[in-house]
Formats: sequence, C-alpha cells, structure tokens
Amino acid sequence: MSALTFAGVTYRYPATLTPALADVTLTVERGEVVGVIGNTGAGASTLLLVAADLVPRVLGGALTGTVTRAGRCALLLPTPWTQASGMAFTVQDEVAFGPANLGWPRERIGAAVHRALERVDAVHLEMRDPATLSGGELQRVILAGILAMQPEVLLLDEPTAELDPGGALLVWRLVRELAAEGAAVVVATSDLDALPDAADRVVWLAGGRVRAVGESRVVLADEALWSDAEGGPGSTAVAGVWRRARLPGPPPLTVQEALERVP
Amino acid sequence: MSVALAFEHVSFAYAGRPALADVSFAIAPGERVALLGRNGAGKSTLLRLVTGLLHPAAGTVRVGDWDAAARHPDELARRVGSLFQHADQQLFARTVADDVAFGPRVTGIPEPETAERVRRALESLGLLEVAAEHPYDLPPPWRKLAALAGALALEPMLLVLDEPTAGLDRRSRARVAEALAERADGGTALLVVTHDLGFAAETLERALVLEQGRLAGDAMLGPFLAEAKRLEGLGLMAPPLARLSQALGLPGGPVREGEVASALVQRCST
Amino acid sequence: MRALHPFTLIGIALALPALAWLLPSTWGGLAAMSLALTLCAATGGGTRFGVLRTALLTAAPFWFFLFLLHGVASMLTTAPRLTTMIASFLWLVAELPPARLVEAMVAAGWRASVAFLFSATLSAVPALRERAHRIVDAQRCRGLRTRGGPLTRIAALRALALPLVLSALHEVDERALALETRGFSGSVRRTPLAPPLDPMVERVFRWGLLLGCLGLLVWRVA
Repeated sequence: MSALTFAGVTYRYPATLTPALADVTLTVERGEVVGVIGNTGAGASTLLLVAADLVPRVLGGALTGTVTRAGRCALLLPTPWTQASGMAFTVQDEVAFGPANLGWPRERIGAAVHRALERVDAVHLEMRDPATLSGGELQRVILAGILAMQPEVLLLDEPTAELDPGGALLVWRLVRELAAEGAAVVVATSDLDALPDAADRVVWLAGGRVRAVGESRVVLADEALWSDAEGGPGSTAVAGVWRRARLPGPPPLTVQEALERVP
Repeated sequence: MSVALAFEHVSFAYAGRPALADVSFAIAPGERVALLGRNGAGKSTLLRLVTGLLHPAAGTVRVGDWDAAARHPDELARRVGSLFQHADQQLFARTVADDVAFGPRVTGIPEPETAERVRRALESLGLLEVAAEHPYDLPPPWRKLAALAGALALEPMLLVLDEPTAGLDRRSRARVAEALAERADGGTALLVVTHDLGFAAETLERALVLEQGRLAGDAMLGPFLAEAKRLEGLGLMAPPLARLSQALGLPGGPVREGEVASALVQRCST
Repeated sequence: MRALHPFTLIGIALALPALAWLLPSTWGGLAAMSLALTLCAATGGGTRFGVLRTALLTAAPFWFFLFLLHGVASMLTTAPRLTTMIASFLWLVAELPPARLVEAMVAAGWRASVAFLFSATLSAVPALRERAHRIVDAQRCRGLRTRGGPLTRIAALRALALPLVLSALHEVDERALALETRGFSGSVRRTPLAPPLDPMVERVFRWGLLLGCLGLLVWRVA
C-alpha cells in the first residue's frame, strides 16, 4: 500500500469560489522523495495541509475526492515562529513537545529527542531558550521536533527558506537519509536547484491542478516550466542558462550534467 | 554626497554578548552591495545600526553626511528605506496602496507626489492589480512585496533589505531584481542581506562578508564567488552558475546568466 | 517564588483581588493593593521594577477617571480594587512560566488543550509585547514619529495597534494549525515531562486561602 494517495481531490477554502486544489491525483510511496513546485498560490502549501489532514478538519472548507494515509503524517510549516509551542524552557523541551503529546513514555521521548537533535546538527542548542534562537536555528529545532515524532510520512513546506546555504545542504541530505530509512517525504520548495539530486519525482502544480508529474529529471527539463502563461516556476539555474544560450537538446539540470555536455 | 553609507570602526554588543567588532566599510551612491554571512554572524545587527534602531557602542555610522547615532529612526527614514524580516506583519492600512503611501505621507511628501511614488513602486513590483486589496488578503510572499513597495516609495538614497527574495517565486524574484537595478541606476545605494547567492550574483556587484561579528571580506562579487574554499570556510556556497563558470574555466569568470550564456555559446561553437 | 507550585501562584493571584473586594472598603482595598504592588516590585520575572511600573501605569487612568467622574470617595473605594486585580494578574504573568502551568495541569489530570488555553493567556502578554516592539521598530523606520506631544502619540497608535491586532489574530489561526501538527489534538493523555513539586505545605496554604476567602464572604454577607 502506498504511503500517501490523493484520488481526484478538489478543495475549496471556506468562503471562496475558486478551488485551491482541483482534481489532484497523486501517489507517494515509502522511501520516495517527491518535490512539489509551482508559483505562489498554485496550491503547494494547500496540498501539504490536505495531506496532513489539517484541512478541512481544522480550517474548514469543502473537500471532494479521497485521501489515504498509511501511517503518521507530520507537517513542517514555513513559519517556524508560529510552530514553536511557546511553552518550552529549553530546546530539549521544545523538541519533546510533539512526542509528549503522543503520550509516549519518558525514556522513549528522551531517546527520540536526542536522536532528532543529532540529525539536524542542533545538539549544541539543547539547553538554549527557544525564544533566543535565530530564524534558522529555530527552523532546525522545529524540524527536530517533527522528526522526533517518528512519522511515516514527512511533509515539508519550504524547509530551507530561513536557512543559510550550510543549513539548506543539511536538510536536503537529511531528506534523502529519511527516505532511505523508509519514510515517504513530500517537499514543497522554491529551491529548484536542489531538486534533481534531492527528489525522485517532481509534481508541478499550476492553478491548483497537477500540470505535470514524473521523474524529477524529466519534469524539470520541460520547456513549459519557463512559460509565465502556464504558471511555470522555471527550473534550475543551469537549465536556465542553457536555455538562454539557446543550446540544443534537453537542458542539463546540474553543474555536473552540464560539465558532461560542454566540450 | 560621495558616500551613501559609512561604518567607521563600529562595535556593538548585546548585554555583554559581542555582536559586531571594529567593522569599517563605505558604500557609494548607486553601489549594489550584498551583506553575506552565516546565521548569527551579525547581519541583522548591522542593519539595525544603519536604521538607527541601535546606536554603536564604539565608532560612527554615517548615512550620507548624517551621524546615524545623532538621529532618530523616523528622521533616518527620509534617507534609508528598509525591509526587515517579518515585514508582512507591519502592514495595517485598508488597502495595499494606502499602506505603501504611509511612509511618504508621514515623512511629509505632498499628496500628488505621494500618489505618483506609490504608483511607481507598485508598478515596478507588479502589484498594481492588487493595489485596492486588503493587505491581509494577499498571500504572505506578496505581503512582503507590498512592504518592499513601501520602502521603495520613500525614494531614499539608501535601501537596506533583509532577505527580500525569500519565499518568492521566479517571476516575483525577477521583478524585485529589476526594481532594485532601476533604483541603483538612479543613484540609490543598495545593501542587501541575502542567502540567495544566485540572486546576489545577478543583481549585486560587491560583497561584504561578516563572520562572528567581524568583517571577513570586502570584495567584488564575481571573483569572490570563484573562491570555493574561502566561501566554504565562511559558511557560504557558490551559486550554480558561478560553480559552472569556474569548473569550465570560462574566460573572465562570469557569474551573471547573460554573460555565462554568451561564454557558453562561444565555448560550444569552437 | 518561582519554585512555588503553579496552583499556589494562581491561588495567591486570585485571593488578593478577592480580599480587596471582600474586606471593608478603603482600608481593605488599600491593604490588598499594597500587597499586590509589593509582589510586583519583588518579582524576579521581567525587568527590575518593570512589572511594578506597568501595573501603576495601567491603573493610573482608572484613578484619574474615577476621581474626575465620581469624586474622591468613589475613587478610594473602587480604584484600589481595580489596581489589585491588574497588579495580581501582571504579577502572575511575570512569575508563572506557561510551560510550568501546562505541566502542572496535565499532571493533575487536565486535558492538554485546556491547559494550553490557560497558559496561552499567560504567554499572550509577553508575546504581544515582543510583537509590538517589532512593529514599532518597523513603523519608526518608515518615518513614524513616536516622540512628541499627545496628539503625535495618538496618531502613532493607529500604525501600531492595527498591525498588532491584525497580525496577532492572523497568527492565532496559523498557530492552531501548527499545534495540531505537533500532535496537540490530544485524544491521547499527554506525558508530563517535568511535573512541578507540590509539597503538603503549599496544598494546606491553598486550602487556607480558599477557606479564608469563603469565610470573609460569609461574614460580609451576614
């Protein structure tokens, strides 16, 4: 059974006419990383909210179609400061917040917290007050909090937005590790350069619809991504410069691939 | 004025924790400068010193011929347009246009001129179509654009921006780049904190790098992005095009898309 | 004070206003008020005397308007009572970390979501204050004058109050969502991580406070 399935899902936020998601069909398997790309308002964040069973349950609105999940889903929002519990003295307590809510015994929580902090390279922040952390540090701590809940499906909304390049690299590496351990990972991101290596498949959303879905290297090479009229978010920087130079063939997506194509 | 912004041996500490130590640099009118460094290196502190929200513990911050420590932030607003993180929280007017007009109005610009500045600012960022909407009806990235429009409408001599492209899609990023380039061409100095080195390479020309509160680098952006080892040591990473340019040994070490494209064409036709 | 059990702190914060209203007026109100203000001055939370200053500043308009509208007698009766309420609440906010309250309530068997409602009230004040600072800074950098006469300050309020309220309300929505993502809906019993100690002395003290207030109530009514 797939980790996450959307079958003909259409969703409207409360009191809106235009659907935020229209007839979305998608399957995500265990051990897979799926990237979701699209312009602002195309529906990527909404897709993650639906996957996490937060809409329509918490925000209301109208959903048609079916969503099935095989296990616990955890969602990382792009705004770490709203996701902080506001009720923790230390980073340790903050990360323990999720597991405590799940009712786990204290020993299990302790182990999960420590492991999660290790994975995001934030053990040195363990005893700090979350309110004193910078945006990037807080984003890592919240991510640790999500990981500590040991979800089967991990949903990340712009996980690298607040991070410096070093932090972003860590997150993409972590994403691949988690998939290798069997989690299903869905990432909505505007960091397209990272996707060819980080994601197995890519979904392009435009106006709430699935405009394209497939292997990341295939979808990201699509010429239509560059069309404003189609709601295209563009592709990687390397693909962009190849296209600008009007060089032949499907564009290379990474520096590595470009080096193989250029004499 | 020959100098838009100057830091002369500026130091600052938060309750005993040093944040900036002996930082000196000067930015000329029309110069486009990126302020780089890893999280916690002191970039936000530096911006707050420029806008007058903080006063240096040592040294002088000059905005044009003004000593920033001798002025209040609202006075400095006549010369410095700023965009902070969480800028989307500062909006309050009933329409986007009204909010953008707030700055010019409050600094005493007469009404017809204000309306014109607002229109220019909204147009340059592609916000004219939502000018009559309530700011909180816009998605967060566009609220940030509206806040940026507010800074542009002040038409200051210096723009200090904290991550202006974070969370924006390609089209919006391009609009921001164009709007900033236009201002710089008109003589506005730019100081932009950004993690998006691709955007920096495309739009800015000089890099100031902070590391643990000290100025660890002051160089032209192109050559700076070619030094991979040095970048790594500062917690940075060269953007894809710079890496490509380096790896292929493209003549002149171009980092901008247009220049890299031309160099590629040359390379592939030989 | 921090070491006291959260319920004890709440007990004190509720008892003081009760005393202010139940004890014979003027001297009773003033006595309770003095106690509350002393607590504010002595609190470890917040900046030195900051809590006391906030309490006095918040209460001052009430004294002024009661005097203006109803005369000295009314002012001396009601204003100390109001001041006690304000001071007690502010003291509680400064003394009681929301995290400890949640731990105490959960350990006592309350549902996590209810505990959060209570603690959110406590953390609302410092959180709003921090947000207000951020907004003030941003608006000042857009040219808003915050110094100057009362008219300037009143004009400044609109540029501060509106974004404060709007963004805070907006965030409540997002925060509710965010907490759900961290397992908060709580059909499961939350694991207490560090339940605060509740020594017998404090429990006796709390019962004492309750009985004392009830006794006073009976005495006043009779």
